[in-house]
Amino acid sequence: MTEASKVPKGMSETPEEREFELRAHIGSLWSGGRLFIGMYTFLLASLAFSYFYLRSSNNGLLWRPNHVTAPTAYGWTIYSLTLLAALMVIYGQWRLRKGAVIDWQVAGWTAFGAGLLALFLQVWEFTAVPFAPGSSGYASSFIGYAVINIGTLAISVYWLETTLARSLRMRKEFGRATPELSMHASAQSFRANVASMTYWMGFVALGGTLLFAMFYLL
Amino acid sequence: MTISAEPTTEVVTSAVVPPSSPVKTPWSQRSGWLSQHLGTAIVGAVLGYVFGHWLGNYVASGYTYIANSGQNSIADALALIFMTFGWLLGIGALNYPLAKIVGRSAPEEVIAKGWTKYVRYSTDHKVVGMQYIVGVLLFLFTGGLLAMAIRTELLNPTTHVFSADTYIKIVSEHGTIMMMMATSIIVGPLGNYLVPLMIGARRMAFPRIEAFSFWVFIAGYMVIFSALPYGGFPTGWTGYAPLQTQAGPGMVSYLLGFAVIGLGMMAAGFNIAVTIINYRAPGMTWSRVPIFVWSLLATAALLTLATPVLFAGGLFGLLDKTAQTAFYVTEHGGSSFLWENLFWFFGHPEVYIMALPGFGIVGELIPVFCRKPLFAYKVAAAGMIGVALLSFFVWQHHLFQSGINPDMRPLFMLTTELISIPTGFIFLVGMGTLYRAKIRFEVPMLFCMAVFFNFLIGGITGVFLSDVPVNVTVHGGFFVLSHFHYTIMGGLLFAFMGGLYYWLPKMTGRMMNKKLGLVHFWTMLVFFNLTFFPMFIIGLLGQPRRVFTYAKNLQGLNDFSSVSAFLLGASFLVFLVNFMWSMYINPVMAPANPWDSLGLEWQTATPVPSYNFERIPVIMTDPYHYGEVGAPALADFGDGPPAPLGSSSTTGSDPA
Repeated sequence: MTEASKVPKGMSETPEEREFELRAHIGSLWSGGRLFIGMYTFLLASLAFSYFYLRSSNNGLLWRPNHVTAPTAYGWTIYSLTLLAALMVIYGQWRLRKGAVIDWQVAGWTAFGAGLLALFLQVWEFTAVPFAPGSSGYASSFIGYAVINIGTLAISVYWLETTLARSLRMRKEFGRATPELSMHASAQSFRANVASMTYWMGFVALGGTLLFAMFYLL
Repeated sequence: MTISAEPTTEVVTSAVVPPSSPVKTPWSQRSGWLSQHLGTAIVGAVLGYVFGHWLGNYVASGYTYIANSGQNSIADALALIFMTFGWLLGIGALNYPLAKIVGRSAPEEVIAKGWTKYVRYSTDHKVVGMQYIVGVLLFLFTGGLLAMAIRTELLNPTTHVFSADTYIKIVSEHGTIMMMMATSIIVGPLGNYLVPLMIGARRMAFPRIEAFSFWVFIAGYMVIFSALPYGGFPTGWTGYAPLQTQAGPGMVSYLLGFAVIGLGMMAAGFNIAVTIINYRAPGMTWSRVPIFVWSLLATAALLTLATPVLFAGGLFGLLDKTAQTAFYVTEHGGSSFLWENLFWFFGHPEVYIMALPGFGIVGELIPVFCRKPLFAYKVAAAGMIGVALLSFFVWQHHLFQSGINPDMRPLFMLTTELISIPTGFIFLVGMGTLYRAKIRFEVPMLFCMAVFFNFLIGGITGVFLSDVPVNVTVHGGFFVLSHFHYTIMGGLLFAFMGGLYYWLPKMTGRMMNKKLGLVHFWTMLVFFNLTFFPMFIIGLLGQPRRVFTYAKNLQGLNDFSSVSAFLLGASFLVFLVNFMWSMYINPVMAPANPWDSLGLEWQTATPVPSYNFERIPVIMTDPYHYGEVGAPALADFGDGPPAPLGSSSTTGSDPA
């Protein structure tokens, strides 16, 4: 299929239009990433509201009888792995900006591994909590938190993996050493995607810290 | 290079595919029936349902609380989740997300020819807009039939058509379906179709997310409709606990239905907001954005930020049903009031999710038919943003009689009254535009006038309802019911109909029949008011909502309301007849710009080409310079220097 054959009938594009479309596309990745974080914030806020609402209501003195807590070893491990993944992604993007693509990839795959392990452990913990889900307000809130955290980690790991896979495939398609750094439209789009993902991972770590404190430390 | 769904990937494709190499189209992308379409989606949904149900039974049938109960909520929930998943897989929504795992870029979409493109996962915003029209009408007519059943039951206070149990389930299903429909009825069809055209864009920012929003919306319809075969749910559309906790498997459909529809709402809002922010044509500053687009931006902000709270609330309810948590079970450390808070934190912005696009349509249409600029454009835009912001601070007025510290009531009374100020701005902008105008009473304009009439009644009764003493007096009765039907149906649905009559010539290239349109309008207006105005009186006389019997002395008013409701239902049949007549039986080709609008969407060809504009326009001014001879032309379309309005060479229309 040639370029010309892909152009819809009657359609042409000037260089200025091409530039406009590219800027709009990159802007969409930027603002879309931030808006996605906004949506996630309201989701987390709902969980936090539920936690504090049930905690302050303490209906039937059943907020947290005997100060039951989810397994802290799991909690610390999942939190540490999430933090590690976020730090790795942030470091990787910093190195990518410096032109060190390999560093970004190594950091990225490390983050992916940490995220995947955190996801696995969160699923495991979900099935192995030492209390009945409906035994208290805390227990219910924790189950809600675990489900949301599974979703969060799954999205993070997916985004990370697809970005890394794209990076590898770009190299295969372009046949050059570091296509991620070129001024090619695909490369610009790729870097915008990495920036949004890094921002997201940072926010996941921040939200994870707050929720970790709520469910394991308070 | 072409502008496709993913502009950056086209270059990569061209870099690796030699011009002469044959490209084998994947089966999923073929244009014929041997590809993914509605049929494969249905197959996927059925298989997903069966698998999910089997899995749920396999996993949970050994649990003691399930074993002998005859009810397995885990199986019900998994069946519906996998049904949704299978539906999306079958239609092709997951092709690209799965291909991304191995780093593939977006495939180029093969545009199907003819009507079959409407039963596929299309990334053309115009196709998605048309798909949404069918989708929302499906919701509307299902909910409407249930409304007819309600009014049939209320014809007599003692002779019953349904049992009390069946009646409340019909009421609940009606309310839920209508609310789900109402969140998308303008954003879905008109928002998706028109936003790129009105901002001078060739595409949406995230076309796949846009298509996803539609197909998940239909999946949500199936999920919520499944409540009926599951035995329904007795909570009304608000789903209050503890009734929610005690209800049968139909409640799973309700909770999951809201979660699934919520996903679609978030996706739609997300895509529209990002598109408006980033894809406005050069020169389209914020002060030149059409007022309808402003309304959709405000709505999209609410959709993206408020809906996650509903999603969380639904998720917690679902966990109560399946994982045996106790979020809403007071006896186990939860709280039934928690649901009320989460639900209404979404629920009140939801009211404005429904109202704002209606305001936007009216603001967009009345300058066209008044041949005057929109009065105080910036006030209207500010009013919409103000409404959107304030709508997050009023939810507690729904809890005036439950779950609120009484000392907090005055605060939320005040915030609720405050929101009437930006709403009033929008209303006054309309009045200012109508003032001393030579109005053309075409069918779309009549619907806009009806919005003002209906919303005035709905809005003023809303101000009364925000006051605690009145609220406490009429809470849970027909007065409230009538109030919100006046705002939602009287505002939103009339605006939607006006928008349809106005933009269908652009969307389909065919004019709706004017005579039938007038019959539709007058019957709808008259019987809407005859149906719902008596309900204010019925409510003040003490008839509660959701109860199938009532005092004998209210039968006359109820019968009057019921007969009017049947005729109101018939008015929608007039619309259907008009639609079929005008589109298929006796189509009349629409002129290029039948209303002489200056809007950007009317300046491109009809039918709109896949790329929308031959050249991306450069915007010179706002689109409301009606009646101003010599005002600058709206845009430079790349075909020579634009002439001022009123001159013979003007691109567009006669401003006067």
